[in-house]
Amino acid sequence: MVAISGAALTAFGRRRDGSSFRDWAAQAFDGALTMSGLEPSDIDLLIVASESDFFTLQLNPASVIAGDLGLTGAATLRVEGGGASGQLAVHAGVARIIAGLARHVAVVGVDPSASALTRDTMRDLYGFSFDAWTDGMTGATSSMLYALSFQDFAARHGATEADLDAVTIQNRQNACANPGAHLPRSHSAAEIAAAPMIASPYRRLHCSPLSDGAAAVILSQPGALPQARAAAPRITGIGASSDHAHLGARPRPGDFSAKTRAMIRALSMAGIAARDIGLAEVYDAYAGAQLQGIAALGIAPDWQRDMYAGGFGRDGRCPVNLSGGLMGQGAPVGATGVGQTATCALLLEERYHAGLQPRRIPEHALADTHGGIATTCAVTILSQRGGA
Amino acid sequence: MNLELTLHYDLSPGWLAPYIGGLRAGRAMGARCRTCAKVSFPPLRTCHCGGCGPTWAELPGIATLRYRSTGSDGDFALVVFDGAAGLCVARLYGFGPEDRLGIITAATGARPGLCLRPVKGPAP
Repeated sequence: MVAISGAALTAFGRRRDGSSFRDWAAQAFDGALTMSGLEPSDIDLLIVASESDFFTLQLNPASVIAGDLGLTGAATLRVEGGGASGQLAVHAGVARIIAGLARHVAVVGVDPSASALTRDTMRDLYGFSFDAWTDGMTGATSSMLYALSFQDFAARHGATEADLDAVTIQNRQNACANPGAHLPRSHSAAEIAAAPMIASPYRRLHCSPLSDGAAAVILSQPGALPQARAAAPRITGIGASSDHAHLGARPRPGDFSAKTRAMIRALSMAGIAARDIGLAEVYDAYAGAQLQGIAALGIAPDWQRDMYAGGFGRDGRCPVNLSGGLMGQGAPVGATGVGQTATCALLLEERYHAGLQPRRIPEHALADTHGGIATTCAVTILSQRGGA
Repeated sequence: MNLELTLHYDLSPGWLAPYIGGLRAGRAMGARCRTCAKVSFPPLRTCHCGGCGPTWAELPGIATLRYRSTGSDGDFALVVFDGAAGLCVARLYGFGPEDRLGIITAATGARPGLCLRPVKGPAP
């Protein structure tokens, strides 16, 4: 087991204030370190999650950020796994602590995904984040590939465009109570239907934005925690898996099979069942991806019924994306998975935004992240100190 | 920092050379597994059955649309090629709303992508 002694996120959005990704990384790290009660000299390893040097124009960013954070001398490592970069970085830190190679690890996710390059350039680059030699060379965009995958899911699971609207409305509404959210909006179905069609059935409002921002967690060996943080939440399970990068090579392109395998591994490590998850941050790059993710993770055997019965709401059986998710809170790619884990930790500690904090704090929470069309999947289970 | 950077890539296709060359010529070159004889297109170096080191096999080039998505990002589909074991993503040119059958057409431009035109439709 590994403790999360500190967790913090910057606001996510399009930053136009002259600040840089290095400022955001420092802001998130400082917040997490303060919460942990540790000093920079206590950190044995800094892991930086950043999806692409194209965004930061900085190869080997971990060494540069270490200097900014006063961590020169600590070991440094950069982790990249597409959209899953942040969660994979958390996993790398957990593994180091479990192996006894570090007592305290700082994991910082950061990317200037909104402001560094033009929208067209980003769309081109993301076309290469799938199998660049097959799907990528056709010119298919991320939206297009997600749309084709969702169509297969919808055909076999009975999902509808109304379901996409329901996810969109709920996540953006949650974001309204998150002061750090990129898109806090109260949408109507009519407003969504009037938005431009990007890749049917996805309209613009069904898509998550690209954002700037950072998030950080401090992972600690439980025996090395400061006394004041002895009750910090624990990471009790991690799991990762992969799928074919080109969509057509999958037997069922709409199923997020790698996510299912990752979840099974994490549940096995935590010694719990999917029904024990009482709160989840699910990777919703698109509205349909949230439904595909929930189905793959097994946290709601009948996702359609649960969604319309309020099961994923703040006081439902398993609140999903209280932060607003990628669709509402935003998606600075390297920060996304770290931010999801930080959000779960803060929710378990009742330190999250008051308007989103559930009345019933569950024993176990789930942070779910992926890269590609659920090609690289990574999930993390967090538990109350006494929960596992 | 406001910097313009121009990059020119010259990446060799490696083991994918027959596939990439086929796209440029309007031919569908798949990989036939030496173990189970299934043909993957786009080619898999390692088959679902675990077999590796495939031989190359040309498919007829006719594909049926399974799922289609259109919008400001273009017109694309998940299709299945006659003789192939799985699906693949293709860009569609000149397809009407009712067209379901396509034929591979030579990729033009810098990107060797998989392109289809309707079987009885206009060339792109």
